[in-house]
Amino acid sequence: MEKPSSRPFDEVQSVFSQTLSVIHSALVSDYRLTDEEARGAEEDLLIWFQRLSRRGGHMPERMLRISLLSATCQYGRSFQLWKLGGAPADDAALNDLLAREPDEVATELDRRLERGDRP
Amino acid sequence: MTGRVIHFPRMPLSSEAGQAAADRVLNTPIPERAALADALALDDPETLLSLCSCLRRRLEASPAAVLEEADFLYRWIEKPLRDIGLFDERDYFLGETALLAGTACRQLSRRDEAHQWFERAEAGFRHTINVVGDLSRLSYQRLAERLEERQIDFVREMLPPLIDTFRKMDMHEDAVKCRFLEGLALMETDELADAVTLFHEIAEESENLGNPRLTASAYANLTHVYGMLGDAENAMAASAKAIPPLRKLDDRVALAKVQWGLATLLRETGKLPAAIGAYRRAQEDFQAIGMRADYAALNLVVADLLLEQGREVEALREVSEALPVIMELKMAPEGVAALALVHESVRRQKVDRGALRELHGYFEQLASGTS
Repeated sequence: MEKPSSRPFDEVQSVFSQTLSVIHSALVSDYRLTDEEARGAEEDLLIWFQRLSRRGGHMPERMLRISLLSATCQYGRSFQLWKLGGAPADDAALNDLLAREPDEVATELDRRLERGDRP
Repeated sequence: MTGRVIHFPRMPLSSEAGQAAADRVLNTPIPERAALADALALDDPETLLSLCSCLRRRLEASPAAVLEEADFLYRWIEKPLRDIGLFDERDYFLGETALLAGTACRQLSRRDEAHQWFERAEAGFRHTINVVGDLSRLSYQRLAERLEERQIDFVREMLPPLIDTFRKMDMHEDAVKCRFLEGLALMETDELADAVTLFHEIAEESENLGNPRLTASAYANLTHVYGMLGDAENAMAASAKAIPPLRKLDDRVALAKVQWGLATLLRETGKLPAAIGAYRRAQEDFQAIGMRADYAALNLVVADLLLEQGREVEALREVSEALPVIMELKMAPEGVAALALVHESVRRQKVDRGALRELHGYFEQLASGTS
């Protein structure tokens, strides 16, 4: 049989592990999720990310990472909006973040990751 | 703000369980699936991912079956609105199943349906996280379809930017697939020497990428080009490199086209009875996989050879068999004079050979394959 188009499991796991600290920081420090909520989110993100890597076509590693960060921000934003139930937060920085597009925040996180900034 | 509430999924299937679930789905007759949806885990993204992967591999073996399956999956995901997977997964599966259905339609020369499926694929892919990659894969299929519609200049204009996108995204196999379209365009414009050079380059590049399907497809196309050139030695050498891996991969579309290429070689070297036999074998292959357009195109080629042998009644029968399919599948655009002339000559019970040659030549140059 022809080899499947998906990449090795280890490679996918490695991209996730290298990004995990940024993911956690974004969820907890930026989107203000609790540690426990963030851990739940990270489990879902890992499952989704493993499937993303097995889709048709091929995604280069950087694209995989940006996609993961984008999903992280989408998750964090949606979860926090749900917790707030439509009301604004007391925290102005959080309101500013929630007003931004998740993709834009993800690109910023990726740049930080590339520069090697500590979360 | 346009926040989206995330739904937390039930325990998902593992990828191995997803593969097993996909096998169970494919072994269940389509009309029975909806009632068994829970047991089949039909809305689990692992099942759908495995199904898409399996159907992608089967495209070259049985496009008609892939169309039926992809059509079912698309409709299943689309309505009623199902909560499938996380984030963009529902949109991805809508796009991917529509892309599979459209590709199968293209293989089967069902052009209007292919266009509709490609529109549906775009609607899904617009919302995926890898939107550039997904839409680029769709663009490739659309260009392949346009090539089959003889929009050669447009295809040549649009291929370089698409190749560039694929290369920037490290999607090297997709970039190579685009080069197949370049080669087919060269064949269409009778630049056969350039086509030979290009397909050799593609074979080498595919080999370096470790993709046996693309390598074998390059040799399948070389068989055809060398056949058109009447170059027996190289055509046979190319077919020897194409056939074993294509058999192993069960790529029945490409195998039928290799057979067509060998038949062309026999025709070009004046071995008419052997050529007719070889075309008949290619027709049997096409019939087995539901490729009616290719079958009909070969009716015309065989008719021409029969006329060469003075077998007018048989030739008339071949053309009469082909014309309804050519009309139904809109294989030639409106206004192709040769089609009207052949039609008229059949009505008068005497085939117009010049028009027949022009018409089958029109179909023949795009006989080689894309995937």
